[in-house]
Amino acid sequence: MTTKRKPYTHEMTRTWWMKKPFYRFYMVREMTVLPLILFTIFLTFGLGALVKGPASWQNWLDFMSNPIVILINIIALLGSLFHAYTFFDMMTSVMPLKIKGKKLDNRLYTGAMWIAVIVITVICLAIAC
Amino acid sequence: MLNYNPKRSDEPVWWALFSIGGTWFALLTPVTVLFIGILVPLGIIDPSTVSWDRVSDFASTFLGGCFVIATLALPMWHGLHRVHHAMHDLKIHAGVWGPIFCYFFAGLVSALSLIFLYML
Repeated sequence: MTTKRKPYTHEMTRTWWMKKPFYRFYMVREMTVLPLILFTIFLTFGLGALVKGPASWQNWLDFMSNPIVILINIIALLGSLFHAYTFFDMMTSVMPLKIKGKKLDNRLYTGAMWIAVIVITVICLAIAC
Repeated sequence: MLNYNPKRSDEPVWWALFSIGGTWFALLTPVTVLFIGILVPLGIIDPSTVSWDRVSDFASTFLGGCFVIATLALPMWHGLHRVHHAMHDLKIHAGVWGPIFCYFFAGLVSALSLIFLYML
């Protein structure tokens, strides 16, 4: 059976997210995963090179020293920090913490998460170096 | 055959991996990128800290191996979940192949991390 209904469909363009600052913010947050994916692919090749032996490992280290690769990694670092900012902000709503029946202040919450990032960074660098 | 009307959604599985990956991305990815992606390549940290002997010794320990698997697998599950949904946002309608490609790729990297560590 055919229908004579002509529903109105709102036109949605591919560039809808460029129209409002909040939408742009959303899209930037979503796109932080692109340099992350590239960096993780680099690391996957690095693990493969590690398995192949010292010569391949050195080749991979040389590849990582390529200015374009370093630039991608710098973008990946900025992306991870931007993601962390949005993630900690979101956690205050998704996983609110209560201390002695009182909701933990949002700024204390996100501040504690940033301190965690700094502590983890220092510990990891101390172990690695 | 694909079942388009399952009794239960499979979304919780992908969502859980997405969340764990997002936590790793926020807490541990910054130092990983900073170390192996920026400071070592620029020579700010001595390259001998990432000599083949040292890194393969680290990856051969149980904790080191777990760290390597998490570093490769978790951000991939997070990232490709977002890619899957971003394709919808950008009107790229890949149908059922969109999520299949995304989650297959995340699964592939996870499997490779296990296989490579086993071969090491």
